[in-house]
Amino acid sequence: MCALRSEEMILNVGPQHPSTHGVFRLVVTIDGEQIVDADPVVGYLHRGTEKLAEDLQYVQIIPYTDRLDYVASMLNNYALCHTVEYALDLEVPARAEYLRIIVMELQRVASHLLFLGTYLLDLGAMSPFLYAFQEREQIIMLFNEICGARLTYNYMRVGGVQWDAPPGWIEKVRDFTAQMQKKVPMYHQLVTGNEIFLNRVRGIGVISQEDGIAYAMSGINLRSTGFNWDLRKNRPYSIYDQFEWAVPVGKNGDCFDRYFIHLQEIEQSLNIVAQAVERVPDGPIIGKVPKLVRVPAGEYYRGIEGARGELGVYLVSDGKDKPYRLKLRRPSFVNLQILRKLLIGQSMANLIAILGAVDIVLGEVDA
Amino acid sequence: MFSWQATPLRPLTLLGMLIGVVVVLALVLGIVTYLIYFERKVIGWMQGRIGPNRVGPLGLLQSVADVLKLLIKEDIIPANADRALFLLAPVIAFVPSFMVLAVIPYTASHIFTANLNVGLLYYIALSSLTILGIVMAGWASNNKYSLLGGMRSAAQMISYEIPLGLSVLGVVMLAGSLNLVTIVQHQATDRFGWYIIPQIIGFVVFMIAALAELNRTPFDLPEAESELVAGYFTEYSGFRFAFFMLSEYVYVFAISALATTLFLGGWAGPFLPSWLWFAIKTSAIIFFLFWVRATMPRMRGDQLMSFAWKVLIPVALFNVVLTGALSLIG
Amino acid sequence: MFGIFKGLGVTFGQMTKKKVTLQYPDVRINMPERYRGIHQFIPELCIVCNQCARICPTDCISLSGTRNEDKKLRIDTYDINFEICILCDLCVEVCPTEAILMTPRFELASYTRDELYKDMEWLYGNHLGEFGSHEQAMAAQAAREAEHAAAAAANGVEPGGDS
Repeated sequence: MCALRSEEMILNVGPQHPSTHGVFRLVVTIDGEQIVDADPVVGYLHRGTEKLAEDLQYVQIIPYTDRLDYVASMLNNYALCHTVEYALDLEVPARAEYLRIIVMELQRVASHLLFLGTYLLDLGAMSPFLYAFQEREQIIMLFNEICGARLTYNYMRVGGVQWDAPPGWIEKVRDFTAQMQKKVPMYHQLVTGNEIFLNRVRGIGVISQEDGIAYAMSGINLRSTGFNWDLRKNRPYSIYDQFEWAVPVGKNGDCFDRYFIHLQEIEQSLNIVAQAVERVPDGPIIGKVPKLVRVPAGEYYRGIEGARGELGVYLVSDGKDKPYRLKLRRPSFVNLQILRKLLIGQSMANLIAILGAVDIVLGEVDA
Repeated sequence: MFSWQATPLRPLTLLGMLIGVVVVLALVLGIVTYLIYFERKVIGWMQGRIGPNRVGPLGLLQSVADVLKLLIKEDIIPANADRALFLLAPVIAFVPSFMVLAVIPYTASHIFTANLNVGLLYYIALSSLTILGIVMAGWASNNKYSLLGGMRSAAQMISYEIPLGLSVLGVVMLAGSLNLVTIVQHQATDRFGWYIIPQIIGFVVFMIAALAELNRTPFDLPEAESELVAGYFTEYSGFRFAFFMLSEYVYVFAISALATTLFLGGWAGPFLPSWLWFAIKTSAIIFFLFWVRATMPRMRGDQLMSFAWKVLIPVALFNVVLTGALSLIG
Repeated sequence: MFGIFKGLGVTFGQMTKKKVTLQYPDVRINMPERYRGIHQFIPELCIVCNQCARICPTDCISLSGTRNEDKKLRIDTYDINFEICILCDLCVEVCPTEAILMTPRFELASYTRDELYKDMEWLYGNHLGEFGSHEQAMAAQAAREAEHAAAAAANGVEPGGDS
């Protein structure tokens, strides 16, 4: 086999490349079409959110969290607010909790739909992308009605939410949920059964359970290996323990499992939303919070199940109205670390399949 | 019937030939323009979009505007490119795509058709010349993505030439001729009618191989946008890029026309004029190609190769044997 | 093998479905009441309390005021730098007199960065766009929509809603 010696070639994938989903650079050394080495370079979208936060009041940090994982802003909002509430030991009114659950789970659906669309686009199929965006657009319009923005919501506040649901909004969500639940089988028909797709993702980019844990992975990447770990179940926060739903878990840890769990999670999230809209209580939407939030001195950490894994906020306060240090555990960044290990030995075509399935968002990787 | 081959070459006939060539060229350019428009519309409809609708009524002039834009764009040649090859590649890719059209019988009175007795062979032989242009483009651009794209397409197109050639053998055996006109005429008198019925295996293999030959989804690896940016024509711009696009779409038309001729009875059909029947059948096949593009993800290189060698070629060979056995019996 | 045909069926079935795209410059997307677009500033209501400038996470608001004869503060200049404004709505939330509001307008593209620096006059007349008064702006919007709906009906294309 090695009688013919060929030279290796260094290929710069990114920072401007159709499949890196943002400004992510991957320096791959290839031998023919086989990857010998891969070196991810991050930081092109670094804005210094953590440092900026040290000079901002808590309410001012919330718009910055919108821009971390910019396809799942609601969850980022919640992660910060939840940590501050935990630090202040605040009671959140029931209506606010329900509204939060509804928007967070809708956000998860929107984020997973975006994953489905872009992943299939990476693999060369164009239509699923546009179908996914049609559904996502409806969710975005629902968010637009409740908080007046389509992407950077700035919806949650310490102690509750900023805006109450406008009249008729809950019904709209109920209609959408019912309609979306019927739409999911279409994706199975269009994509899951397609042999070309299956051949490209089955057995590709396999993460073993040991690796998943060793690399501190979380979210769907970890669940695809068969490890049942969902913070909504394992360390319940908010009111997730009041709903009936299941955690989809994979078997092989390959790209197909990751794709499939995304679809299953859409169903489960819709499940939660469908239950939540039926019993939204009346009442205030924001608790009794001082106008200027001062977190008592100390260290606090809360992790929530973000769209991509454990989204953690580690907060050090010295008792002032601004954090002394705010560390964000960004799941995309942590999940990205295994990329090199997954890529070595694969072909160029698999690079795209693997990178897409690890599902990173560059705003979150670079923060 | 008037025949070019039987008439000696005189100034007047030469002039007639030239006019014929120009007419076919203009016609094909028009067809290609609206092929692109049609593709964008069809894929748009399948994706809940409207498709081009800005330039001209219903967006009918969109492709014209696009081509015009490409023609007046700056022609960029990368500094480190192999200049001569870089300039030559689009021409080599483009010329055979037009030359193959010479043998397609569009109508019953095939005025513009070369009545070649090796028509089918001519088509397959010439269409493989385009690979040369693509490999040249990939190499001469001095770009790593282009190189990968060029290599991929060389491997792919050469592999798929074989099932393509084998799949039409059955038709040749049934008709007893390589002449496309004769093949169409035979289908009119054959007891099974169009060859798509006795040659259904051949037709399926032909369509798959044709998709691969055209570098279209799901076999569009050479220009896999999400992996190789644009494949072999990454570095091309302006009208050289237009040449590649043009040859790609001319081939879409040509291969659909060939499929019509070989398997769908060519121009034959009741009531309507023969050219209209030909247009309808060709459009149906072109629509199928676009439909597939709107649905399928891309295959992977190694799977593509093993599919050609392990599935398509044995099936095509089996079809040849089956056709031979059946014609011996029947 | 059948998976491929199922997929083909799905895409074919989509062909006749209602199109969801919006003919954007002709048909405007209908933004909800709460939409957080470009600000509108009403100088008469401003009491120069400086709260908006202080809450702004990106420091994009700068203002100055002077005291009247009757000791009341009056706004002199009020500028928002839309290069860095992130339309987070915090300034609107803190304003005690609702002097600063957010409009459904969202088009801010310009050829130079300097144009993104908007002053008090611009912000005051912002919601009117190129029209002289609110009534004129509304009438023009309605006329445009009616015209497009007619054109779309002629083309057999649904004008498209917000779904």
